[in-house]
Amino acid sequence: MIERSELRLRVNGTWQEVRATPQDTLLDVLRRELGLFSCRETCGIGLCGACTVSRDGKAISSCLVLALAAGEWSITTAEGLVQAGQLHPVQQAFVDAQAFQCSFCTPGFVMSLVAMLAEPPEQRSVAAALSGHLCRCGSYGQIAEAARQLMADHDMNQEG
Amino acid sequence: MIGKSAQVSDAFERVTGRLGYVLNHEPPGTLHLALVRSDVPHAEIRSVSTAVAQRCRGVVVVLTGEDLKGIGIRPRFGPVYRDQPVLAIDRVRYVGEPVAVVAATDARLARAAAAEIEVEYDELPAVFDPKDALAADAIILHEQSDERGPSFADIILQGRTGNVCNMFTLRHGEGLDGFRYADRIFENEFATPPVQHVSMEPHAAVAVFESNRLTVTTCTQTPYAVRDALAHMFDMPASRVRVIVPPVGGGFGGKTYAKVEPVAALVARYTGRPAKIVLSREEEFVTNSKHQSIIRLRTGVTADGLLVARQVDALFNAGAYTDISPRLIKNGGYGAIGPYRIPHVHVDSRAIFTNLPSSGAFRGYGVAQGAWAYESQMDIIAAGLGLDPVDLRRRNLLREGDSFATGEALHDVHFREVFDDALSLFDTDAAPPEHDYIKRGRGCAVIIKSTITPSTSNATMKVNVDGSVQVLTSTVEMGQGSHTALAQIAAEALGIPYSELQVVGPDTDVTPYDLTTSSSRSTAAMGAAVREAAAQVRQQLVSHAAKQLKIDPDDVEMRDGVLRQRGTEGTLSLGQVVSGSKLGTLTATGSYVSEGGLDAATGQGIASDHWHQGAVAAEVDVDIRTGKVMVNRLRACVYAGNVVNPVNARMQIVGSIAFGLSQALFEQIIYDNGHVANQNLSEYALAGWVDMPADLQISLLENPATTAIHGLGETCLPPVSPAIANAIADATGIRCLQLPMTAERIIDLAASQ
Repeated sequence: MIERSELRLRVNGTWQEVRATPQDTLLDVLRRELGLFSCRETCGIGLCGACTVSRDGKAISSCLVLALAAGEWSITTAEGLVQAGQLHPVQQAFVDAQAFQCSFCTPGFVMSLVAMLAEPPEQRSVAAALSGHLCRCGSYGQIAEAARQLMADHDMNQEG
Repeated sequence: MIGKSAQVSDAFERVTGRLGYVLNHEPPGTLHLALVRSDVPHAEIRSVSTAVAQRCRGVVVVLTGEDLKGIGIRPRFGPVYRDQPVLAIDRVRYVGEPVAVVAATDARLARAAAAEIEVEYDELPAVFDPKDALAADAIILHEQSDERGPSFADIILQGRTGNVCNMFTLRHGEGLDGFRYADRIFENEFATPPVQHVSMEPHAAVAVFESNRLTVTTCTQTPYAVRDALAHMFDMPASRVRVIVPPVGGGFGGKTYAKVEPVAALVARYTGRPAKIVLSREEEFVTNSKHQSIIRLRTGVTADGLLVARQVDALFNAGAYTDISPRLIKNGGYGAIGPYRIPHVHVDSRAIFTNLPSSGAFRGYGVAQGAWAYESQMDIIAAGLGLDPVDLRRRNLLREGDSFATGEALHDVHFREVFDDALSLFDTDAAPPEHDYIKRGRGCAVIIKSTITPSTSNATMKVNVDGSVQVLTSTVEMGQGSHTALAQIAAEALGIPYSELQVVGPDTDVTPYDLTTSSSRSTAAMGAAVREAAAQVRQQLVSHAAKQLKIDPDDVEMRDGVLRQRGTEGTLSLGQVVSGSKLGTLTATGSYVSEGGLDAATGQGIASDHWHQGAVAAEVDVDIRTGKVMVNRLRACVYAGNVVNPVNARMQIVGSIAFGLSQALFEQIIYDNGHVANQNLSEYALAGWVDMPADLQISLLENPATTAIHGLGETCLPPVSPAIANAIADATGIRCLQLPMTAERIIDLAASQ
């Protein structure tokens, strides 16, 4: 076991000093050091999507990357999407569609859809964004409904 | 408020990731636990070497089964028989059984130290298959009957011998003699594999011993049962044990009864420090699962298709310890009879000990296994008699006032309606398959399921001096939306806005007793308790208002959240009445207690307070080149009584379909000499978004004549697998008798049939 060392991470727009060992995943550090509990370990092998965060705008599994590799990245978690107490449009769409049951997987789905909507229109795919996520409660229909609504809103904003 | 959707009160926390799951709890000074688990299926423990681990960095204590002896605790737990040791004592009975626990200042340090522990075993023969476990020369897992726990009123303990954990028997009409009325007898053996719950949130608990009190924060579905198990274990009065349950990240049965709480409490007691345990996904696979089943079903029918006799011989694989198997095999025993008028019935249902992890409650609760058998066989019978499978079912379905095989008369019976509703899927046709190697077929299934009876729920309602209202309930919110539904019920009963109501979740120091959050019972049973509490609170409000207005209580009316003298304009708010009462708060507790129970020998009596009724119709495409099955269209209908929250109700049905479809096509825990061979989400396949039917229709059959609330959280799961199997048979002629219906299995059956 190697000692924890100091590490600077840019998370939710703020540079933070954290301590991490070489074995620590980004997920470990976000939870343990920063109390960002929206990312959760469910499978530990990058299959369930519950630990999804944004790395420079792209959705990644935080259980699959080492914390020490993340020093240059800008990390966003579901907590960081909230601006001045207002939900991000993707989060609001989930509330409107009631796209959650137990909600353990919800922030992961949200982060992937946020990343998807940042893609150029021709590369956006709801199916691709959702395929990396499991929801054992089976809220897929409502999640897809939230995604459809977001795509429609997005297109309207583009045209407007 | 009833019958409308309502904003989930903590929706903000749910979408921002701030919901306070157990996982997030960590008092200062918390120790993190890692378990050393058996890597042999059955053995005497020769020695456990902990010396190296004890010296590892960050390690505070290492405990083994030896440490449980002579320290004044009762080291075994279980909801029926207390047969499961917190840490294995002298012997292990399955691969994955906890043998030692390491407590360290950091989870990674605890795991590193656990890897340094060496266990020496003297291996014993092991048995994995329930049929093998019944052989005369089979190794016996439990030599003596273990101490019986407080158990539950509905559980019948009998038939314990050899590796038989428990047995349920039902004899109705002339039983086996009834087969003499049959023109044809159909006999088949159906099998279902063990399956994991895979709740997204793993089992987790935080235990704190302080001031001679034990507080455990945990994600259980049964807070009171966990409290009582811990009180017994530590020989403490229940008043000194507190179980708190924050929102739970999925349960599906897997979080009923004590699981990880005892070992966390043990370490907290031993060290005087908070102890936290979080299981990994791999550990989840050896913690609890759905019972593997082998059901031999014999059915006698007349030439014109009337069912006259049925024999059920069901084996349920209990694994190494009892858990809740005695109840599950009972419900699974009469649950294998089906929603049909059958005058002569004979059921033997047994739970069998084997050297596998314990099986327990699982959404569908034994009925999924039974329905797989009887609804598959209905199509086999129809084919054998040259009848239409839909007609065969319609001819035999139970009707209002009929007796079930338990002898109880059935009321509020809607099998024909839910069945016909599901079949309306086939009123329209989808575009035909584009390739001739895609074979399309249609299938259906209809089921009956009980709810735990007798059972008890209590709810406390508290009106504050500002007129706001709290409902204190031990119903666990695990995604099913119970707290939203209970708030709606309370708001409606008091005539106040939903927004002024707060539901306070399980804390055994605060919220009154409830049997369990399971069995699709909470909205119905806890809802009834909430209504009763509201009626009492209303009475108190009226009585206090009468005093304040100096009028007779009969002249007070309460409407739209205010009280007034009948026929006058001036009103008193709830807050004014509470304030005027000088009591600070007005409080009342309402109870719901159902009655029932079955005779031990005959299984006759009252099995269920009300009966869950559901049906599924499915259309599938089978690629005969690969065996791949796609469920393109599916319609589910549930009898829903009076729906409280239509959005949540629908999501419960969709969830049941997702569960059922996943088990129909993909899920099985594969054991290799007692070791789980597919112990992660890479190798254990779950249905995902792409596997859900593109055309998924949900229908809630309501009864406008009733205000009674009907459970519906599981009803549409059991019919999914047989409906798909029947559709596959319709498409290809291939009949699966065993789940799951993987592409490989379809191809193999195509070659052999």
